[in-house]
Amino acid sequence: MAGMRPLCCSILAGALTAACGPKHIAGPMRPGKALVALLPDSDTGATGRALVSSAAGTADLSAERDATLATTNGGPGPVTTLSQADVDKLFGDALSALPRAPGHFTLYFRFESNQLTDESRALVPQILRAVKDRSDPEVAIVGHTDTMGTSAANVELGLKRAMMVRALLVNAGLDPSVIEVTSHGEGNPLVRTPDETPEPRNRRVEISVR
Amino acid sequence: MSTLRSSLGVLVIVIAATTSVRSQEPSAAGRIKVVSGSAFVIRQTAAIPAEPGQTVFETDGLRTGTDGRIGVTLKDDTRVSLGPSSELRLQRFTYEPGRGSFGMVLQFVQGVAAYVSGRMAKLAPQSIRLETPAAIVGVRGTSLAIRVDP
Repeated sequence: MAGMRPLCCSILAGALTAACGPKHIAGPMRPGKALVALLPDSDTGATGRALVSSAAGTADLSAERDATLATTNGGPGPVTTLSQADVDKLFGDALSALPRAPGHFTLYFRFESNQLTDESRALVPQILRAVKDRSDPEVAIVGHTDTMGTSAANVELGLKRAMMVRALLVNAGLDPSVIEVTSHGEGNPLVRTPDETPEPRNRRVEISVR
Repeated sequence: MSTLRSSLGVLVIVIAATTSVRSQEPSAAGRIKVVSGSAFVIRQTAAIPAEPGQTVFETDGLRTGTDGRIGVTLKDDTRVSLGPSSELRLQRFTYEPGRGSFGMVLQFVQGVAAYVSGRMAKLAPQSIRLETPAAIVGVRGTSLAIRVDP
């Protein structure tokens, strides 16, 4: 069954492309070849996985600097491993234009309360420093809840939590014009739980400084 | 307290306004963070010179000249960049975890690009599709480099 998956994926991907094609603005791309290389995450050092598929087959990139050259008719070629020098030469121009990694902060609440924990409150100066450190900062404040209650009520509760953190940061001197507040309600838990499960780690506000 | 209440009021108005226009206009997908040399946002048929801080929308394209580079951070913290003589189309971008709604389709049309996955790759990896002229790339929390030649 495991062997069937790439084939199913590529058929499915092909079908999806065909189905979605006409809705796209600019029509199909011109034929060409694509070199795809998997790289380690520059922040964590971890390497993920990528499946490169076409109607002709699938290449599974799973190790650092794994690469495949795909052509319009031939599909993805065999997986090879590039040297770091190859990566720099082939992709350096694009890699050098990557924006800085966003800064992430997670704030938690005291049990059955709308008050942040002391540890979370103590992160405020770090958050402000991360904002100051950027030339064109954006601060996304996202409220999250556990799965107690309805998902609609949790979107509202998450928004309340995020608004509270917004007020805290603005009071501490953050420019309100760079802030965007949203709520993911119970839709983006840190810890997966069944519905109607109290879970303090999911009652949180996440901040991305971009 | 009155400041908090008035800012809450403003937020509610902003949310209401955003929701009412969403059906007619493409939604904001992210912002340009890095620009050097000649780089453009392609919106319908217009080529708008790119500047740091500029918002990019779903269905926009990014294009660079022979000396151009551009880097964008999307709303789920995905980062994408292009080297010279390159083009990328942001065909689809939906990131609404509160409604369980996800989708990202990036078309790498030509040239050289780098991609670093964001939160969507953790929450809904199957909803991400990176398209090239010769193959489609599915990702699981990944940094990639892509080079498309004719």
